[in-house]
Amino acid sequence: MKKKTNQSSFKNDLQRLEEISILLDSSELDLEEAISLYEEGIQLSKKCLETLTTAELKVNELKAKIDFKNDDDSLN
Amino acid sequence: MADTTLTVSEITRLIKKDLEENFSSLSIVGEISNFKAHSSGHWYFTLKDSDAQISCTMWRGVNNYVFFSPQDGMKVIIIGRITVYPPRGNYQIEVRAMQPAGVGELQLAFEKLKEKLQREGLFDLENKKELPELPMKIGIVTSIGGAALKDMISVAKRRFPLVEISIASCAVQGIGAAESIAEAIHLLNKQNDVEVIVVARGGGSLEDLWAFNEEIVAYAIYKSKIPVVTGIGHEIDFTIADFVADYRAATPTAAMEILTPEKEEIENLIRNFDDELTEKMYDKIAGIKEQISSALHSYGFRSPFDMLKLYNQKVDSAVYRVNQTIDKYLTIQKNKIALLASKLSANDVQKTLAKGFVLVKQQDKFVPRAKNFQSAQPHTLIFYDDRIEIKKNYEEKN
Repeated sequence: MKKKTNQSSFKNDLQRLEEISILLDSSELDLEEAISLYEEGIQLSKKCLETLTTAELKVNELKAKIDFKNDDDSLN
Repeated sequence: MADTTLTVSEITRLIKKDLEENFSSLSIVGEISNFKAHSSGHWYFTLKDSDAQISCTMWRGVNNYVFFSPQDGMKVIIIGRITVYPPRGNYQIEVRAMQPAGVGELQLAFEKLKEKLQREGLFDLENKKELPELPMKIGIVTSIGGAALKDMISVAKRRFPLVEISIASCAVQGIGAAESIAEAIHLLNKQNDVEVIVVARGGGSLEDLWAFNEEIVAYAIYKSKIPVVTGIGHEIDFTIADFVADYRAATPTAAMEILTPEKEEIENLIRNFDDELTEKMYDKIAGIKEQISSALHSYGFRSPFDMLKLYNQKVDSAVYRVNQTIDKYLTIQKNKIALLASKLSANDVQKTLAKGFVLVKQQDKFVPRAKNFQSAQPHTLIFYDDRIEIKKNYEEKN
């Protein structure tokens, strides 16, 4: 359960980091905004690295349902 | 001239008996033509060579055991028996088993199917889906006990353990393998969070890999809404599935490597972000500083000096905060260590005092030696439980 949230947020966090980096290039940003973005970015990167180092591979096997064959395996 | 006159039924019965008794176990080589897979599941075709032809049937259930899909023009060896059908007065071969007459036949079938699917647009580049950049959930279509799966899992574990793997197990060779592979692809398509599918199998002979050359697998890949990467056999093996797939990797391992970033690579990426952000922040502050100083020095612009000073101060405090964020972690750790160290040493003295020793302090300094003790001066005795200040002259009191 915890892993799941880690996983889905990892990608979001990476995206946010990228976003912050782009935002910091904007000249319209005032100083206070820039600083809070910067702080957020540093926090996020720390979190991402931690998630990465503690990650454990999750493997599961899917079981086919019985009604499966009737679906749409048309040959021609 | 004949002595007796037979009815059609009688002669047919005799022919039937003769043929069916004498040709009850045949092995025949010939080329398939007019192949029809009927919706009932039975197969009907003609086996021919340059001078003759013979009708054949292969019943549903029996034909499940043929590992390839027969095609017109394919040279095969069939095993079966002759049967006579009296209502029509014809004879045919009831086929029990079928094999390609040689590996060349499979190759030929391969080329034919490839050509056909190409015409139908299954290999068109514009139909290829883009692979996700950083898939968090990968579906794998392969045999659950296969070496390919083990290899792929260990690659994922080593490179990017944050990924989740969903296995849709299937037969990868032999009877019903093609259908089983198609089903597994279909099953993964029903999962809503699988971002990419790997169709994989370890190395093997052309026959072993044949299931991946079947039309049903080609269509399953083509219809998949989720991008499909193939990793089938070795570098040199090309299957129909490879041509239809959105990406063909040379081996199962290579497929997994393409889909997972190296752990170090992504760590570096994150660290680069760190550096980039810090750099940009400094640039930002430098830019604002410059703005202020140019405003200060500009001839025409005279803003109230106090306001500028305030802004300058703001910048300074911002720089301070940035530095602080960077140093915060280190400082916290340092403080922790210092705190621990002081606690440790304090404990040490406390233990000694508890045993009954007393510390003497004079003028805020410990007096460890008698020669340093100034008897005329006030002093403090430190016991384990308390301290006593002695202010009066020591000798007078005694």
